[in-house]
Amino acid sequence: MSSANPGLAYEDTPPLSAPLRFFLTAPLFGICAGLVLLFGDGVLDSRWTPGALAAVHLLAAGFMLQVMIGALQQILPVVAGVRVPAVLGVAGSSHALLTFGATGLAGGLAFGLPDAIIGGAMLLLGGIGIFLIAALAGLIRSPSVKIASHAPRDLRLALIGLAVTAVLGLALAFAIGRGASLPIPLAQAVDLHAAWGWLGWGGILLAATSWVVVPMFQITPSYPARFTRWWAPVVLAGLVSWSLARSTAADGAGIVLGTALMLAFGAFTILTLRLQSRTRRSTPDAPFHAFRAAMLAMLAGIAALGANLVDDGGQWSVLAGVLILHGGFAGAISAMLYKIVPFLAWLNLTQAGIRAPNMKKLLPDIPVKQQLKLHLAVLAALVLGVFVAAAARIAGLLMLIEFGWLLLNMLRVVRNWQRARET
Amino acid sequence: MSTIAELMTHDHRACDHDFARAETLAAENDWQGASEALEAFAHGLNAHFDAEEQQLFPAFEAATGMTQGPTQVMRGEHVDMRAALERLRAALQARDADDFAGEAETLLIMMQQHNMKEENILYPMCDARLAHAQDELCSHLSQMLAVEHAS
Repeated sequence: MSSANPGLAYEDTPPLSAPLRFFLTAPLFGICAGLVLLFGDGVLDSRWTPGALAAVHLLAAGFMLQVMIGALQQILPVVAGVRVPAVLGVAGSSHALLTFGATGLAGGLAFGLPDAIIGGAMLLLGGIGIFLIAALAGLIRSPSVKIASHAPRDLRLALIGLAVTAVLGLALAFAIGRGASLPIPLAQAVDLHAAWGWLGWGGILLAATSWVVVPMFQITPSYPARFTRWWAPVVLAGLVSWSLARSTAADGAGIVLGTALMLAFGAFTILTLRLQSRTRRSTPDAPFHAFRAAMLAMLAGIAALGANLVDDGGQWSVLAGVLILHGGFAGAISAMLYKIVPFLAWLNLTQAGIRAPNMKKLLPDIPVKQQLKLHLAVLAALVLGVFVAAAARIAGLLMLIEFGWLLLNMLRVVRNWQRARET
Repeated sequence: MSTIAELMTHDHRACDHDFARAETLAAENDWQGASEALEAFAHGLNAHFDAEEQQLFPAFEAATGMTQGPTQVMRGEHVDMRAALERLRAALQARDADDFAGEAETLLIMMQQHNMKEENILYPMCDARLAHAQDELCSHLSQMLAVEHAS
């Protein structure tokens, strides 16, 4: 790396093992979420059951967080010119902390163990903290250039969302585990934590990634510049305002701002679906369809949140959680994994001077298509499970197979990568 | 006059459209049409690489003194993509639709991660460091890029 240009990051790609460990661990949390649904009693009866809290955190702080942190190590250098320093050390330590943290937190929530909840939350915060500090160190040294794309800025905003979500989560862990008093009622603090995780972290990260991935990889028209310029800052400002309104019991303002945030996220999903419908690629593959299905699930999730505003029935918030977390984020993330992992294996072989099998030889279409179809079946069973308790167990069994299959498909790439190295 | 980033990003998109046309025709088993579209894509891609390697990168290296930095990485990736293009041509000649789809997918991802680095980092740096010669450089680059990509 040239000292005259200390932040220019892409002269060396992070070692394959840095992101891969996150991608291979992530599905294990999905499998555990399936087990919770399969063996737990009345898990989807409300958002407050121990099983529901455990399953949500297995998906959000386990599956999603692992993939997102792993992928950011690859995306930050390419999209934002940010080189994560000591990448293997950061990957190793944050991966271990996130893995034990999510396991402890989910286990603590499922079995009512206060120490595990607090310990898990602290480990999670530690893992997130290590990654954020490393990313910040890289950001400070990254080149300051004026560019048309807003993706690098929005990736930074998403990291703010992650930090807020994590700190709120730790405060909640102490409130639940030690009875620590919070300045606002517990239920409101949970809403803040969930909204920051969904929109401030996951939503902005998904959007920032989409600004780049959808037009370039799916060959669609670009997102309108005016939309990408304002969307993430407006959502973040809206979240701050909504949080203040909720914290000060300004209910009217809270409802207006909450509705505006839902509409903003809805606008992103609708715009993405419209752009994707104009793709120039004539042979959209299973991950493309899965990404679109994820956007539709997000929209349905927003509708469920809207229903929750007018009808206080507990099932609406559970339905929204199922649609947004499993249908939306887990679907979009699975679709992206099917592109990222074979490409990283291919890149690693090519950079080692080995003749690499093409992407579809590293990971054939058929198992990908079948696994993504199962994902939709699981979503349907989960939606049914919100209203019919017995269906939740079936959804759990299917979810266990879904994430097991995802893991097998990832391992298939690793096996083909190893074979290519040996020949 | 546009910036270097605008000019070269526009050419990336034009290459993408040629690529998508070749992919579409191959998927329809229109091998003659796919062959013509692929050659149009190859022409645009090579013209783009040549413009960078012969005009833009030397100007950047002269202005910054960085000869082993990002331009070297980009040159290396051009070599990889030229090799990927040859494999795509071979699949087309063999009329192997599966192999063509796999090679096309690989080249697309390789090309787009390369474009991301250029569009988000290298081109803006070129605009910043070569501002004094921007008009002249853009004019030279425009002459080297595929004519049919001009809008």
